[in-house]
Amino acid sequence: MSNPTGCENCPVHHKEHLIRMGIAMDRVDYVVALAGNPNTGKSTVFNNLTGLRQHTGNWPGKTVTRAEGGYSYAEKRYKVVDLPGTYSLLSTSTDEDVARNFILFGRPDVTVIVADATRLERNLNLTLQILEITDRAVLCLNLMDEAKRNHIEIDLRNLSKDLGIPVIPTAARQKEGMPELIQAIEEVASGKYVCKPRRKKSKSPKLNHAIDTLVKKLAEQFPGIPNLNWVALRLLEGDESIIDAIRTGELGTLSPSIFPSLTP
Amino acid sequence: MESTIPTNKDNEILSLANNLRWDLGVNFHDTIIESIYEDASHLAKRSVHQEGDPAKHFDLKIDRIVTSRWLGFPIMFLLLALVFWLTVSGANYPSGLLADLFIGKIYPWLKGAAASIGTPTWLSGVAIDGAYLAVAWVVSVMLPPMAIFFPLFTLLEDFGYLPRVAFNMDNLFRKAGAHGKQALTLSMGFGCNAAGVIATRVIDSPRERLIAIITNNFSLCNGRWPTQILIATIFIGGAVPAYLAGIVSAGAVVAIAVLGIGFSLAVSWGLSKSILRGEASAFSLELPPYRPPRILQTLYTSLIDRTIFVLWRAIVFALPAGIVIWLVANIHVNGLSIAEHFIRWSNPFGLVFGLNGVIILAYIIAIPANEIVIPTVLMLTVLQTGLQGVGEGAGVMFDTTSIQGTETILRAGGWTLLTGINLMLFSLLHNPCSTTIYTIFKETHSWKWTLVSTFLPIVLGLVVCFFTTQIWLLITG
Amino acid sequence: MICHSYILLLSDPGWTLLFGTLLLVPLAGIFWPKIGLLAFSRRSRLNRQRVWLEDALKYLFDCEYKKVTCSLNSIAGNLHISADKTAKLLNRLRSMGLITMEGEAELQLTDAGRSYALRIIRVHRIWERYLADETGVDQMEWHGEADLQEHQLSPSAANQLAARMGNPVFDPHGDPIPTIEGEMPQHRGQPLSSLEEGTVAQIIHLEDEPHTIYEQLAALGLYPGMQVYVMDKTDGKITFAADGEECILTTLFAASITVETLKTKEKIREKQELLSSLVLGESAEIISLSPNIRGQQRRRLMDLGFVPGTAIRAELNSAGGDPRGYRILGTTVGIRRQQADLIYIKRTTTNKHE
Repeated sequence: MSNPTGCENCPVHHKEHLIRMGIAMDRVDYVVALAGNPNTGKSTVFNNLTGLRQHTGNWPGKTVTRAEGGYSYAEKRYKVVDLPGTYSLLSTSTDEDVARNFILFGRPDVTVIVADATRLERNLNLTLQILEITDRAVLCLNLMDEAKRNHIEIDLRNLSKDLGIPVIPTAARQKEGMPELIQAIEEVASGKYVCKPRRKKSKSPKLNHAIDTLVKKLAEQFPGIPNLNWVALRLLEGDESIIDAIRTGELGTLSPSIFPSLTP
Repeated sequence: MESTIPTNKDNEILSLANNLRWDLGVNFHDTIIESIYEDASHLAKRSVHQEGDPAKHFDLKIDRIVTSRWLGFPIMFLLLALVFWLTVSGANYPSGLLADLFIGKIYPWLKGAAASIGTPTWLSGVAIDGAYLAVAWVVSVMLPPMAIFFPLFTLLEDFGYLPRVAFNMDNLFRKAGAHGKQALTLSMGFGCNAAGVIATRVIDSPRERLIAIITNNFSLCNGRWPTQILIATIFIGGAVPAYLAGIVSAGAVVAIAVLGIGFSLAVSWGLSKSILRGEASAFSLELPPYRPPRILQTLYTSLIDRTIFVLWRAIVFALPAGIVIWLVANIHVNGLSIAEHFIRWSNPFGLVFGLNGVIILAYIIAIPANEIVIPTVLMLTVLQTGLQGVGEGAGVMFDTTSIQGTETILRAGGWTLLTGINLMLFSLLHNPCSTTIYTIFKETHSWKWTLVSTFLPIVLGLVVCFFTTQIWLLITG
Repeated sequence: MICHSYILLLSDPGWTLLFGTLLLVPLAGIFWPKIGLLAFSRRSRLNRQRVWLEDALKYLFDCEYKKVTCSLNSIAGNLHISADKTAKLLNRLRSMGLITMEGEAELQLTDAGRSYALRIIRVHRIWERYLADETGVDQMEWHGEADLQEHQLSPSAANQLAARMGNPVFDPHGDPIPTIEGEMPQHRGQPLSSLEEGTVAQIIHLEDEPHTIYEQLAALGLYPGMQVYVMDKTDGKITFAADGEECILTTLFAASITVETLKTKEKIREKQELLSSLVLGESAEIISLSPNIRGQQRRRLMDLGFVPGTAIRAELNSAGGDPRGYRILGTTVGIRRQQADLIYIKRTTTNKHE
């Protein structure tokens, strides 16, 4: 195990440990999904992790092509899947379908949520939605340099406690905080860090009643699914992929096989 | 879905969900989002401490200036003018250098080498006079402006200025039924229409994006600028007193570019009111924070990207065109080349539009690249008129080193001031080059919109040329 | 020779101009939207017989759903065809096993007839939802377009469309969409015209037929989800506040609005200010987004933080004057005036900076 701080000698800093896109990865230990709002530097984080060169720009929605890449750390191989940047996971658009379904059905070992530290409130919206789906996540608080310039201070420990997941400050453009991020990913993936994701009920009694009714019914038929609340909510939104998973009974396994691939 | 028979229990869940949804009524999606935002806001308040109001800092100060009523537009025009000026003045020298290298030095050497090893004429014709020359032409004309224009644009984008341009221009584009960001894709079209079409990805509203794609061709791309300048210098500059020639011909080229912007707006308006009326539309424009651009990295990646793009285009699109051009000029049927047959047949048709058979053929076989239209026109004119002592031989595209040389050839081909004006109009208003057509298909995944984008400008071009010509003839008698 | 006269004709610019202009006329006649030949042929491809048959089933189902009786004459009136033709049509429906007839007054749908009608209604309402959410088609045209589409779109294509839109359960007028299995909730609510003075209710449905009445209701800005409070009811007129805005309608018109009464506990909504009324530098809290912001536009704005409860400040005018930049959740977002007119707010500060 390498030293988590001041990590100049981390394996990730050695180019030979980076697996480039397009090279078939014969053995992958962990799958890491990269989610986040547009224009938060998600592509830069992706490039830093994988050593690839995806185009970035100061413009929301600039990244249009999806990418996969990989790296290895502490003798484990990680596959990184860059999900489309979205503001939310609750509406019907192709990008959101892809991101939502990958996190739910693809069951990545860790979902890294890249958030803009200067607009935390806006970014927490997506974070909370992701935490409804998965319980293994890391919040990468990017653009910390900009936050500092704007005199924004964030109580990281408090935030981490509230969300129940690790919170890592980074400045991806300056390549700051990457070793810590890789470390946190490893801890969550290997189960050293057990997340307790925040899941809060809505304030509408009518909605809560509807969700509870559905969850009860779902639990009878599909016991043991950790995120039934989310499944119930998506059913109320008429999500076709969930409806399909119920019809085919594959919801019970939540197997990655029913989500064949990210590419359309 | 149809293959599995749903069990009763599944149906029970789905039907329960449906009944619950009917009970929840129409607004419940909003309720969910509202409650998540509320929680996010609560969490943010607990952990974020803000000293002062960030909006009052640096960004807002810049925004107040670049979007101000008085300074907003002048700053924009100055910056864009600077980008264009740097492109035009900076591209001249490397373009000449590349042309000299590829066409002046390597080409004769290749020909000599081919002859010395006894290559059959048809093979060296197809490979060197056709394929190689077309590629060389496209690379030397297109690469330098692309490699200067786009990195500069990318720098402005990285800094965060471009969204402000869209913000300022939206009022105008809204009236044309379009999106403010179309101001940017239109500007990029001046560099390259295919790049402009790709850039429409930043327009996140389906209708406005289609409008921007279809009208991008009205931006005069860098493959067409040299044609405009050459023809304006010969025919428009030549029609006025010598001391006015420079300014009048430059004015004519600018007028054509402005006319293109006018067509862009007018056609946008027409599309939004007619065939695109039913497409969904959604407007919002984020003004991201200003960020110091990473100049060297941006220049480097942008340069590599553009070079790869130009080479790809030259090889995939220009190379086959070069072969076709050589073949039509060198395959003979009944003693005349295919090109001459076509020119004779289409000449009366061309004259109705103030053009001629040579121009029509040149635009058909040079679809892949606007850059080779003038070399093709010159070659075909020589072929048709049988001029002696000019050019490189049948089917070999060439450019003369002097404007007078070009003028002599064109006048010999029967060109007049009217032909010149119509060629300028037609060069602005004709189908996009095949790279752009291909890009449009890739971006829209739709044959329908690709066909509309291809044929709308050409129909418009023919209509405009027709009326210009006939009214001109009516007036001049 | 034809070729020769063609050259002759084109040698004179006057004639050529005339010829060219005349050529444009038939082209316009073919391609002109709505009234051109292409549009006409699209409409005429429909099989009139089937359209009548399906419309009659739909109408019969509507009567059954709302528990009113319908007669041969009311069917004829609804379909705009003669009583003779209607009688023939009904006979055909009976021979197809879609309805039963006991004399003239007792028209009943069979199970097969009911499920046929539900299929048509499903397609109709899904298409209306689609037009409202995924296209820019004007709301006045939804119903007419859906009336054409319901006879053309296959049920499986409609299902695919519904799945893509998140299987909506209501059409944009507030009517429930039948499920694939043909389920529909019980008819709810009562006409607005039947409410007493002082009642608070919520609009759940606006009848989109006849067109003239719907036009008027839409012009008043009424929509499902709005809260109404009946202020006065006299002389065949009803005065009510819809989300705080006062409206007056005749009882006939008010009958086209279906409402559900609310417990008086619910806070009566007041008239709200519009986002566009903010002066630069003023702050406010967002109260709601008008339902006239729909589909993609609504999703986009909500994604950007235009959600009830969020704080917003008018910050920046563009050089062109129209879109205006609003500061919301730490980002400046430019939106146009016509959108800001559809966002309701509550002013929080009135002090301007600078």
